[in-house]
Amino acid sequence: MTDREHLERAYRRLLAWYPRAFRRENGPEILAVLMADALDGQRRPGLAQSADLIRSGLWMRLRPSVPASARTVRAAVRLMYAGAAISTVNLILVLAVTADAKVYHTVLGHRLTAAQARELNLTTLGITVLIVAALIPVALWLWMAWKTGQGRNWARGLFLGLLVLSAQHPVFGAVATEHPVFGVLGTAGIREGLVPVVFGPIIPVLTWLVGIAAVLLLELRASGAFFKSPGDGGPALHQAQMVELARIRSSSARWTRQV
Amino acid sequence: MIYNVCMAVRAMQEATFMILTALANGSQHGYGIITDVREVSGGRVRLRAGTLYMALDRLRADELIVVDREEVVDGRLRRYYRLTPAGAKRLADEAARLQAHAAAALRRLNLAGGMAT
Repeated sequence: MTDREHLERAYRRLLAWYPRAFRRENGPEILAVLMADALDGQRRPGLAQSADLIRSGLWMRLRPSVPASARTVRAAVRLMYAGAAISTVNLILVLAVTADAKVYHTVLGHRLTAAQARELNLTTLGITVLIVAALIPVALWLWMAWKTGQGRNWARGLFLGLLVLSAQHPVFGAVATEHPVFGVLGTAGIREGLVPVVFGPIIPVLTWLVGIAAVLLLELRASGAFFKSPGDGGPALHQAQMVELARIRSSSARWTRQV
Repeated sequence: MIYNVCMAVRAMQEATFMILTALANGSQHGYGIITDVREVSGGRVRLRAGTLYMALDRLRADELIVVDREEVVDGRLRRYYRLTPAGAKRLADEAARLQAHAAAALRRLNLAGGMAT
């Protein structure tokens, strides 16, 4: 294998960091630029070049692909990321409190009776449920932001549905007062949906406000144009863009076959 | 409407500004943009392929640039990009903004005792 083939293969591997759709459309071209920029006799991608490809590949995967023209959708997606951030804070709180209670129980020893420990649900299963229940809202928010950013119409409906389901959250009911700390969690399960499990009302209320704001933004008439009918994938494109895209796809596919 | 104003005023990233500047002279392909940006900035701004294509993707989504044409040279795909009228206007606005800031800075430095000379 020549140096250039070696280098090209290494670059192809790095391009795997990009989302497939982007790679299919732009991969050959990026590869051409990378190879044109390579030094004579270079066998391996430089560190900075590799880091740049990985960074932008990951960013292309994570960031919402909402054009600036769909401002309301963009704002809604940002709010969803904010929701994920709030849920992450909650997750950290849950981990900290669990670790703290566990230390109190096992290291300092004997201060909790078995009954108390049971009531606080400090078994391995209890803690697992607790952590999973705190992870679910984070995952849901991220997933919703991702799919909304892709213009999936069902994501709009599902988001509203999840928010409505979350209205059963203990913080708005009587359950919250039954147990001092972890009581809520014994019955928590997966029910809270978008709104995380917490100690105190601040995080659920904040999450709710963010959720409601996002729903309102998504239901605006201005947002409608971005979403396609169910079944179609991807954000709505203008006719000209669709034509351009089809042309580019076919020509890059042809080119890929050539090499 | 307030949001509109914010969007218009928000500063453009240097890489984006330089890419649009490279395209202001006519359509360019990816590697052409990299070399042009290097030249215009006197070697100071060196765009990497990852950054460039991330920016091009964003600019296309925002309809500031479009694909002009495609060519295959030595078995490699070359896609040429060009500014849209919206892209040209955005670049002109940003250049005017930067020029106003630079002029203010230079004026003050001169008034403060000719330090800029």
